[in-house]
Amino acid sequence: MIGFRLSAERPPDPRRINDVVVQRLDHVYEVDPELMRDHIQQHDFPAWDTRRIVDSRWEHLAWMHAHWADSVVSGEELISTEE
Amino acid sequence: MSSTERTDGDNGTDGFVAEWRNGAYNCYSSGHKFCREVCPVMQVTRNEVHTPTAFHANVVAMEKGLLDIADVARDYVHCTGCGACELRCPNTLFTGDFYRFRTRTVQLVKAARALAVDQGIHQPGWQRWVEETSRQKSEPVLGAEVPVSQEHVRDWAAGLDLPIGGETILFCDCEGAFHRTSVPRAAAKLLQRAGVEFGLMREQWCCGGPAAEMGYVDRAREFAKHNVDDWRAVGARRIIVFDPHDYISFTEDYPSYFGDEYDFEIVLFVELLAELIRDGRLPLTHPVERTVTYHDACRLNKRKGIHAAPREVLRAIPGLTFKDVDHVTQWSYCSGAGGGLPIERPDLTAEISRRRVERAAALDVDTLVSACVWSERPLTEQRGALEIMDLLEIVALAAGLEDER
Amino acid sequence: MTSTLVTDPVIDELVAICGPDNVFADRSSRVNRARVPAPFPVHRWAEHVPDVVVLPTTAEQVSEVVKLANRHRIPVVPRAGGTGLTDGAVPLRHGIVVDVKLMNKILEIDLDDRTVTVQPGINMLKLNEELQQYGVIYPDDPASYPCSLVGGRIGTSGWSLIGGRYGHTRDLVISFQIVLPTGELIWVGDGGGRKVRKSSTGYQLKHLFMGHQGTLGIVTEAVLELVPRPEAEFAAFFSYPDYETAWRSTGALAKSGLATLAGVVLFDEWKLDYLRRDDEAYIPQPDDVRCVVATAMYGTTDEVRPGAKRLMRIGKDTGGAYLGDEISQGDWASRHDRYATPLHGRLRDGQVVPMSWHCEDASINWSQLPQVRREWHEIVARLGDNFRIFDDWGMFAYTNAAFKPWGDYLTEIDVGIWEQELDDAAWDAWVTAKRDIAAVAIAHGGSISACHGACRAGEVDLVPEELGGGWDVMKKVKRVLDPLNIMNPGKYLLDEAYE
Ligand SMILES: Cc1cc2nc3c(=O)[nH]c(=O)nc-3n(C[C@H](O)[C@H](O)[C@H](O)COP(=O)(O)OP(=O)(O)OC[C@H]3O[C@@H](n4cnc5c(N)ncnc54)[C@H](O)[C@@H]3O)c2cc1C
Ligand code: SF4
Repeated sequence: MIGFRLSAERPPDPRRINDVVVQRLDHVYEVDPELMRDHIQQHDFPAWDTRRIVDSRWEHLAWMHAHWADSVVSGEELISTEE
Repeated sequence: MSSTERTDGDNGTDGFVAEWRNGAYNCYSSGHKFCREVCPVMQVTRNEVHTPTAFHANVVAMEKGLLDIADVARDYVHCTGCGACELRCPNTLFTGDFYRFRTRTVQLVKAARALAVDQGIHQPGWQRWVEETSRQKSEPVLGAEVPVSQEHVRDWAAGLDLPIGGETILFCDCEGAFHRTSVPRAAAKLLQRAGVEFGLMREQWCCGGPAAEMGYVDRAREFAKHNVDDWRAVGARRIIVFDPHDYISFTEDYPSYFGDEYDFEIVLFVELLAELIRDGRLPLTHPVERTVTYHDACRLNKRKGIHAAPREVLRAIPGLTFKDVDHVTQWSYCSGAGGGLPIERPDLTAEISRRRVERAAALDVDTLVSACVWSERPLTEQRGALEIMDLLEIVALAAGLEDER
Repeated sequence: MTSTLVTDPVIDELVAICGPDNVFADRSSRVNRARVPAPFPVHRWAEHVPDVVVLPTTAEQVSEVVKLANRHRIPVVPRAGGTGLTDGAVPLRHGIVVDVKLMNKILEIDLDDRTVTVQPGINMLKLNEELQQYGVIYPDDPASYPCSLVGGRIGTSGWSLIGGRYGHTRDLVISFQIVLPTGELIWVGDGGGRKVRKSSTGYQLKHLFMGHQGTLGIVTEAVLELVPRPEAEFAAFFSYPDYETAWRSTGALAKSGLATLAGVVLFDEWKLDYLRRDDEAYIPQPDDVRCVVATAMYGTTDEVRPGAKRLMRIGKDTGGAYLGDEISQGDWASRHDRYATPLHGRLRDGQVVPMSWHCEDASINWSQLPQVRREWHEIVARLGDNFRIFDDWGMFAYTNAAFKPWGDYLTEIDVGIWEQELDDAAWDAWVTAKRDIAAVAIAHGGSISACHGACRAGEVDLVPEELGGGWDVMKKVKRVLDPLNIMNPGKYLLDEAYE
């Protein structure tokens, strides 16, 4: 299915990562919702929006690298050629 | 907007401030203005009262009694709803997913416009526009090829032999239905060629998005209710849209109006198109000897993160030379066509479009391809030596459904 | 909310100078130019609202506005991006805000003598997007890179993240045109030639007219340095089990002598705890990652690759563990534009509240960092004990010198402040804490501010102490150049110049 369906946008229930962090979608950390109880409340957040933000963040960071230089040297690669 | 933040009772300033207070402080206490230079309006006016920073600070100023909506209603006209600012805002881009709390400037602008309307502060152009839309059930698009009225809403489909109703509905937005009819025609023909079964609505009304954007919330809901009733009446389960504005209405506004019972599948045409081409169901056999660049439709690229499908489609067209500008750079591009700006500030829309076309021209292309039918009017008005085409129009050429003029 | 100086005839004169579309006296235009992101006494907003705002388009208009202000004795406050983290662009006495954002043109790109000439309302990221096609870049890179503007960079004499390689604003701005407080237009640089980087002719006036926070005039045009666009970027983040090791390693890395090294940044334990609250790069780090040192290099590939190997070796030999490409590259890319977001804010019970970010930014020598760090955290801890609206967001120390990343460090303690709950008592405690923080910097031979400016309430009280005899010279200069105290009056205690 490539379309949007409201019922498919509800993310799964969170599982705990540590005292203050939970996870609903793979590789996406979220604040423990309990910490946004008293003073500021979370938004209604469809899954597409979470994915859009996460993807955009990485795309933006890649853009920044390209903005500053033609190429990025990898430390991991340097370590592997050293040994 | 959190349901827990919403306060009951009046629709007046107090309710507005209570609803937006935390969102406003979330910007106010940042105030860093990473949103400024990506804003298409700000790039032209350079006037700080047109920034998201001001749009949020105004709420705090209202809370402190320094401003009221009458002071700022006109400022909030200066927004195309493109969504660049709220995506670029670190409170979205870096932490929005983590806190499930992000900057919602577009929503705030709509809410402020609604507050103005509630208090009897109307922008004359918008007021007329919404009244006309209510009367004709479609937007009073200017320079229409066919007269705007319910009688003519399906004229664009003349001779295509399209059924009414069915499981899958092709929704045609007002600009396409009455002004740039080549776009819905291309859409319908492409679906037919690929063997996708679909029908039209019995009676299609405006999606209501523009009325909602201009602050006329009750009107917007009337349109929405009509359309959803019509879909249900014909047993529709899937709605195909090619206009990004409709896509926003159907995936964001309608769910907020109707809640969980809103169970339609909303399919964006260009995503379907990419799939049809990928699966070999829509062969593109006719070379299109053009050099093009792509204009990322704001509501797809910035507000929905949809930028790959249109590029995939363009790369599948034989003969085409595609000079791409990446979609992140295009966060700060816009045609100026959204959010009602062309009605109230046509001068700004024209200048935003002029700059967009100028950027395209610098790439030495002959054609600027867009995937947003609303953008194509102001872009065409500023086109200079370039041709402005819709993605569907160019794909129709490649599929041999139309001939180069 | 207003002063009585700006009368209708004055507005008419401003309209005659700037044109009817560029003069704004409505409430919204004024209320929205009262503040900058530095913590702001939101409960006293009305005290800072200007009377009128102008958006001039030429140097001549700016000059005429300043002359008019002198005739009518109306305060003038320049405003560029409005991102300053001292309160430089906040009007203290109402008056006219001269907002330079409409002056954002690129006037000349000179690839022979390597300069670009711009108006002060242009932003660096936008400028560099245009310059990319020529293979050059203007490398002034604050963390506000996408939002601060050239005029404000000069007004504050800012600090750049990669200044250890390319220099800071004062090194990168070759010369500029400025409207003096009495309205005359002059050019200042190193000597007279507009594109000359080094001269011994006369007094070195360029420095005098930078970093004055709008108290000595308004910049209307600037000639900027162009450097070759880097072929290669390299970022490496190392982790350490304790501060002492990380601090020593910072020193070793900074003193490596590698010419492409653009900067070294030390994150302390508080900063790591804070990043673990919500940053995907730090959340999964094991507990023994207590401190981090970030490094970055820019230049030709031929220099950066071997330099990077050497840097990796130094990091390792001094006790650092490489944190991997994802965090090194990802976090570094975010340093050009990311900063505190409000929801980092936590009450002591852990609840999230939207806090504004305050950044103290002293210049401190490397040898003094550990002691300053101890004393600063103590000050902020006391503040938090008394008022729940303050939160210690940890410290960074960034290499601070130009063209050589050693010696002193932009030493930053970040404090979250819950402005929604701010009242006079909390504000006063805050101002006192800022004074204490500044006093520590001075006591350790440092300077109150490396980049933002030291005119914020609290710390400004100590500027005379820091500058000593120089403070008297500063007052004399102000009085001679601005006899009627027109430019940004009230800032930097400069009213004392007129006593
Ligand atoms: C997220 C964030 C990160 C930051 N990181 C850094 C950093 O890494 N390094 C750094 O140095 N700063 C940093 N800052 C602070 C700020 O961006 C700088 O001080 C910047 O130089 C201010 O520029 P602006 O254009 O916003 O100026 P404004 O805030 O508008 O003005 C700053 C001062 O300059 C004066 N001024 C403005 N225009 C002119 C003019 N044309 N002529 C004379 N005076 C003028 C104003 O009166 C004011 O006193 C950061 C700020 C933020 C919000
Ligand atoms: S909208 Fe976001 S980027 Fe813009 S000022 Fe507010 S917090 Fe900063």
